[in-house]
Amino acid sequence: MDQSRKHFLKNMFIGAASVPMILSACKKDTESTGTSSGSGSSSGNGTGGTSCTAAPTETEGPFPTHTPSSLMRTDIRDDRTGVLLTIKITIQNTNNSCAALAGAIVDIWHCDKDGYYSEYGGTAMQSVNYSGVTFLRGRQTTDANGQVTFTSIFPGWYSGRTTHIHVHVYNAAGTSLKVTQIAFPEGSSSAVVLVNTTASGYTKGMSGYTYNSNDGVFSDDTAGVEICAISGSVAAGYALTQTIKVPA
Amino acid sequence: MSKRIVRFCYRKIIEAASSKQWDKYVFESSYKEYLMQSQFYDKEKKFSKFSELFNNIPSSEKLHFLVSTSVIGYLKQLNGSVPDITNNLGKQFLKFSNFQFEIIESDVKNKQDHRVAISFYSDPMLWHDTIDNFLLVSEANGKKTEDGTLTHLLQVESFLSIYSLKEEL
Repeated sequence: MDQSRKHFLKNMFIGAASVPMILSACKKDTESTGTSSGSGSSSGNGTGGTSCTAAPTETEGPFPTHTPSSLMRTDIRDDRTGVLLTIKITIQNTNNSCAALAGAIVDIWHCDKDGYYSEYGGTAMQSVNYSGVTFLRGRQTTDANGQVTFTSIFPGWYSGRTTHIHVHVYNAAGTSLKVTQIAFPEGSSSAVVLVNTTASGYTKGMSGYTYNSNDGVFSDDTAGVEICAISGSVAAGYALTQTIKVPA
Repeated sequence: MSKRIVRFCYRKIIEAASSKQWDKYVFESSYKEYLMQSQFYDKEKKFSKFSELFNNIPSSEKLHFLVSTSVIGYLKQLNGSVPDITNNLGKQFLKFSNFQFEIIESDVKNKQDHRVAISFYSDPMLWHDTIDNFLLVSEANGKKTEDGTLTHLLQVESFLSIYSLKEEL
């Protein structure tokens, strides 16, 4: 069962559990409950409450509860298939002797095995229950070690660009600290070559591939600080680690 | 007799003055997300308003999609019911599974100027008749009862329109 379906069912359950509360709580629909519905105590007295306000024509259904962005998640695969890739990113603060930066918000996004990003053009119609809308996009907050970990698939590639992962680091308040990209090591036995030439579903091979030295973004990174470390295998999946230094 | 199958569209505007709790959550979440995501397109912080940003950096059009991620959870909380729109008995009855999110305007320096719209596209409805200012409609896939088809009287108001019309024999 995918996450979206689980979420949907969970909401259905919350919705069902909320009904008695709505009937008895006599709250206006403009009031905040602040907490998840279904667990609050019922305070109705059957007389329509003590404040002198007109009863709403109809209750709004389940009381809204505060919900984080749908990007906030560890497993960002949704419906995308490919070689398993665990992405572990450590954020360090250059304004504090490169100590680990806790509480930073890290957004990542990358293309699928065929080179496509999740993206609806402009304001096209979306479906509420379609989980694939934001595939391979995710957000996490760094822990005390400045780390975030995502479960994803090994990115494919598209014409004109080397294999890469986009990263946007914000401080806890959402102010942008760094927009950058992660590059991959190259060579005949590198993960990039093995995945694209031997893994099932990766059909492009390496013909026409743009290598890091010719890439418009990474070609100036002669020291290779943007190139991640990677270990694993096509069969077992790969683990990517990368440290990103930001001024916080 | 031909059947007229319509899908309604309700375009709900959410702005600083919106007072319902759900609307406030959508307003707050979408503004926070806008502040975060718009920085990617305006790294030099040259543009205050979304309209300025869009006019100068056309790729910022993706912000409609990117900011919509902040409200998906709230849309799921509606459990498929189009908000605000009621039948003549005062009850919500329109179901939706498709929506469209758009940023009407925003301003990184002035939260009061943040305005978004969510268009709710109803599931197919049968349009049986028009009575005075009301449309007599029923769910296109609704079950029949021994009394026949259960219907709703719907008054067409501002921001509610018929999105599509399909006639079947």
